[in-house]
Amino acid sequence: MIALYRIALVAARELRAERRQPDGVVAAVTFIAVLVLLESLVVGPQIARDADVASALFWLALAFATILATMRSFDRELEDDALEGLVALPGGRDALFGGKVLALAMVLVLVATVGGILSLVLLDLPVALPVHLIVVVLLGVLALPPIVIVDVVLALRLRARAALVPILALPVLVPQLVAATRGTSAALSGDAVGALSWAGLLFAFSVVYTVIGLTIVPAAIE
Amino acid sequence: MRTVQSGASLHDATVVLDDRVILRAVNVVVGPGLTLVRGPNGSGKTTLLRALAGLVPLARGDRRLAGDVLYIGHRPMLLRGLSARENLEFFARFRGGDTRAIDGALRAWGVGEDMDRPVERLSAGERRRASLARVEAERVQVLLLDEPFADLDEAGAVRLRQTIARARDDGRSVVVATHAHPELDDLAKARIALDDGDATAA
Repeated sequence: MIALYRIALVAARELRAERRQPDGVVAAVTFIAVLVLLESLVVGPQIARDADVASALFWLALAFATILATMRSFDRELEDDALEGLVALPGGRDALFGGKVLALAMVLVLVATVGGILSLVLLDLPVALPVHLIVVVLLGVLALPPIVIVDVVLALRLRARAALVPILALPVLVPQLVAATRGTSAALSGDAVGALSWAGLLFAFSVVYTVIGLTIVPAAIE
Repeated sequence: MRTVQSGASLHDATVVLDDRVILRAVNVVVGPGLTLVRGPNGSGKTTLLRALAGLVPLARGDRRLAGDVLYIGHRPMLLRGLSARENLEFFARFRGGDTRAIDGALRAWGVGEDMDRPVERLSAGERRRASLARVEAERVQVLLLDEPFADLDEAGAVRLRQTIARARDDGRSVVVATHAHPELDDLAKARIALDDGDATAA
């Protein structure tokens, strides 16, 4: 119980700081908005409205947005050694990962909502199964932060982490991105069974990577 | 099995960072009262405190602790985007303590009027004061303070000396690493001299 309370405290602290210094959210939302706009201009309306293409670009943009938001979150922690202040607390190491995942998932829900609405409106995408779409997007958003946080923590003390984190994170994000893209595409085109199958896989990714993060991060942060 | 009555201790502790030995087979037992850690720059003072706080891995030896530790390092360790009050409330709640002492502690340290401003808008000295207010707000048994006089003006230094004296009188274990500030000598119960990773009782 105390562990969950501490995770909630870390998440609340993170969200409060993000609200006051929303650089991570602003960067992520701007990035996803620009990508959606460029997509429709570059490939033309016919190709851009293809469910597979629109889904793939949405999730690619969200993957980069996750990396941006996570790196900004840890950059803020490194200023004035705030991260060390948290890690020095009893149970701080264990609460760090859970709190960050929770807070970043909430931030990404906001980013995905803005990006999703922009995609639907600008590309005039038809949505055959809206509830399935929401389930796939939510589970897809939950599947992204755990492994990105692990990568950022592993690269935390490296000078070149801004370049290294995307290189480390993107290959391991491929399975989640494929599942999220296929699930979104299925929900857009009316394949209920396909959408739910991919949603189940996304849930499994979330659980596996969360367990990995809970195991690795407390030791790696040392 | 040996137990520690109070405070913190390192036994035969060696710390290696970036293939360099920073602490070499150090034996330190910190009990109630003030312990001063002295030594020139680069002698391992910060690493000794971080080892006591459990913030660096020991290549050899072990660390024992009785009670919670409050470690305040070179920098204030406050999260930007939050106010001083919000930062201190977070720390107190995380430890499961109450937050009633926070306002009083921040006022006592002269940050009362600025306690609701985001910490990035405070001066370095004000951030340091807000950080040191944790000593009074969190009431932790073992205090590890690394160069706590940095960024403080004369009034802040006097306030810090009073705070350390009060913590010592309350029976808390206080470890202060500093290469200066001889005015603490008369408060100290024990002294540790560090030289190139070797610790000796001074």
